[in-house]
Amino acid sequence: MTESVTSLLFNSPPDDVDAVHEFLEQVWQANPGIGEFDRMAFETALIELSANVIQHASGEGGVTCVLSVTSDADGLHASLSDTADAGGIVLVDRAMPDELSESGRGIALIQALVDELRYERIDERNVWTIRKAPQAIEPPAAAEA
Amino acid sequence: MEFQTETLGDGVVVIRGEGRLNMVSGPALRETVLRELEAGNPRVVVELDRIAFMDSSGLGALISCLKAAREKGGDLRIVGPSTQVSMVLRLSNVDTILPPFESVEAAYRD
Repeated sequence: MTESVTSLLFNSPPDDVDAVHEFLEQVWQANPGIGEFDRMAFETALIELSANVIQHASGEGGVTCVLSVTSDADGLHASLSDTADAGGIVLVDRAMPDELSESGRGIALIQALVDELRYERIDERNVWTIRKAPQAIEPPAAAEA
Repeated sequence: MEFQTETLGDGVVVIRGEGRLNMVSGPALRETVLRELEAGNPRVVVELDRIAFMDSSGLGALISCLKAAREKGGDLRIVGPSTQVSMVLRLSNVDTILPPFESVEAAYRD
């Protein structure tokens, strides 16, 4: 697979997760060889991560993010760097909350969807990295018609 | 996102939306459902076939609506989730409390 890197800079507010969806739409168009399930799992994980960053930074007066997505033989990689204060999101292994819980699933979902989720604090930025290896988990059964 | 509603009688209301169910559109779904519950329609069907994408905020909104409907003596049932929506429901174990029905008619046949 040819390596390709693309980047997006967004500010929230006014940008929200729709900016990430639109950016990924372009990534998928430029990389038609990526399987549908890989795209779906990666996009879901990256949206959960972006939503978490945007939500936690909303009390700080907003955040600037730089998102890079790379596709290579090891799968899909994303690096999200944000200007929020350190420690807003605590990255530990999260159990999925109970069925009737209305929140608290974001990190657990990311961990269920991708092979790697890492956090580093570099030069006053939070840097989040995720990697999804090709077809690491079974696709769900098709929804009933 | 705007949600359309269609009342079918016997307290049943169908709610339809198109696009992404997330932190932006979740509150609009909640408002729509609460308005229908106040109007005396506690048997809610959310048609998801035009919801291309749902994140955990959207899922939280659905669960909040389910609990509100049950408090009114009704329920919330879903129809036609996309592959992505089904994946999120399954990984969250929420498919056990929100199993998809095959049609609006099937959702309240009981």
